[in-house]
Amino acid sequence: MINDNTKVFIIIPCYNETANLSAVISSVKNYGQVVVVDDGSIDSSEQVAREWGVVVLKHLLNRGQGAALATGNRYALNHGADIIVHFDADGQHQAEDLPKLIQPIINNEVEVVLGSRFLKKDNQIPWFKKWLILKLAVIFQNLMFGIKLTDSHNGFRAFSKKALEKIRITQDGMAHGSEIVEQIISHKLRYKEFPVTIMYHEFGQGIVAGLRILKDLLFGKINK
Amino acid sequence: MLFVTYYFMYYLPLQIIITLFVLIVVFRLTKKYKENILKTSEFIGWLIIWIIVVVVFWLPQTTSYLAFLLGIGRGVDLAVYLAIILIFYLIFRVYLKIDKQQKEITKIVRYLALDEKDDSRPKTQDFKE
Repeated sequence: MINDNTKVFIIIPCYNETANLSAVISSVKNYGQVVVVDDGSIDSSEQVAREWGVVVLKHLLNRGQGAALATGNRYALNHGADIIVHFDADGQHQAEDLPKLIQPIINNEVEVVLGSRFLKKDNQIPWFKKWLILKLAVIFQNLMFGIKLTDSHNGFRAFSKKALEKIRITQDGMAHGSEIVEQIISHKLRYKEFPVTIMYHEFGQGIVAGLRILKDLLFGKINK
Repeated sequence: MLFVTYYFMYYLPLQIIITLFVLIVVFRLTKKYKENILKTSEFIGWLIIWIIVVVVFWLPQTTSYLAFLLGIGRGVDLAVYLAIILIFYLIFRVYLKIDKQQKEITKIVRYLALDEKDDSRPKTQDFKE
C-alpha cells in the first residue's frame, strides 16, 4: 500500500495533552515520522512525547494551534516529507483512518485530502455543537469561498509536499482551518473530502471560539 | 458689558490654566526640537495641534463656525465627534500593531523551535514574509 520510499510526516500540535498524547503517538507512529509540536505546554506533554523517541519541536510560548502546525509543516518540508498529515493530539481522530486518508495523494488523484466528520453517518457529535456551531461554520465557509464542503475546521487532513509548499498558515489561532481552505482554492489545488471517525472526549471549541475565528479571519484580511 | 464680564469670569481660569499648560508643552517641544529628538515636520505638526487648542479655548466660537460649515449643531459636538473618530483610529492602529507583534513573536518562537534541531536549521529567507 504505502510505498516505503514515500515519506509520511504526521504533525501533532499539542498543548497540555499529557492525558491523551501517549495513546495518540502510539496509535500513529507506525504510519510515518511523528512530529509533535509542543505549543508551550505547562504540563509534561513534552516529556511524554520525548519518551516515545519521536521528533519534538518545542514552542517556548503558547502561540496557538495554527502556529504549531506551521512549525511542524516547515520541519516536515525541510526534511524531505512527501506527504504531511495533520493529526489532533486529543485523541478525537482514529489512526486507522490515516492510510485511507493519504491514499488519494499516493494515487496522485488529489493534492489535499480533508477529513470530514459529516460524511460519516455514525459519528456521535453533540446535537448542539453539530447544528449551532459546526454547520454554521460550514455554511459561512462555503459562502465565503464559493465552494461546497461538508466540514470546516476538522484537524485531520493530509497534503502532498507540493501542495504544502504553497500553503502558508499565517493564522496562529484556530482560524487556520478556514485559511487552509482559502489557500487550497486560491492555489487551485486538487482536493477531496474523506469521511473520518470522530470520538469526542470533550466539547472542543464553543461558540465564543467560533466568533473568535470569525474575528481573526476578518482582521487577517485587513492586516496583510 | 455685563454679559462680557460674565463671559470672562466663566472662562478665564480655565483659559489661563490651559494656556500655561500649552506654553509648558510648547517649551518642551522646542527644547526637544533643538536637541534634534524631533524632526521638523513632527515639531510643526505638534505645534499646530497645540496652537489649535489655545485658539479653541480663547475663541470657542471658531468651533461653532467649523461645526456650522460641516452641518453639525454645536461646536462642542464637533469636538466630541472628532475626538471619538481619533480615538477609534488610534485603537485600530494599536490593534494592528499588536497583531503584527504577535506574528513576530510567533516567528521567533518558531525559529527557536526549529533551531533546536541542528540538522533542520531553517534558511534565513524562510522567515521573511
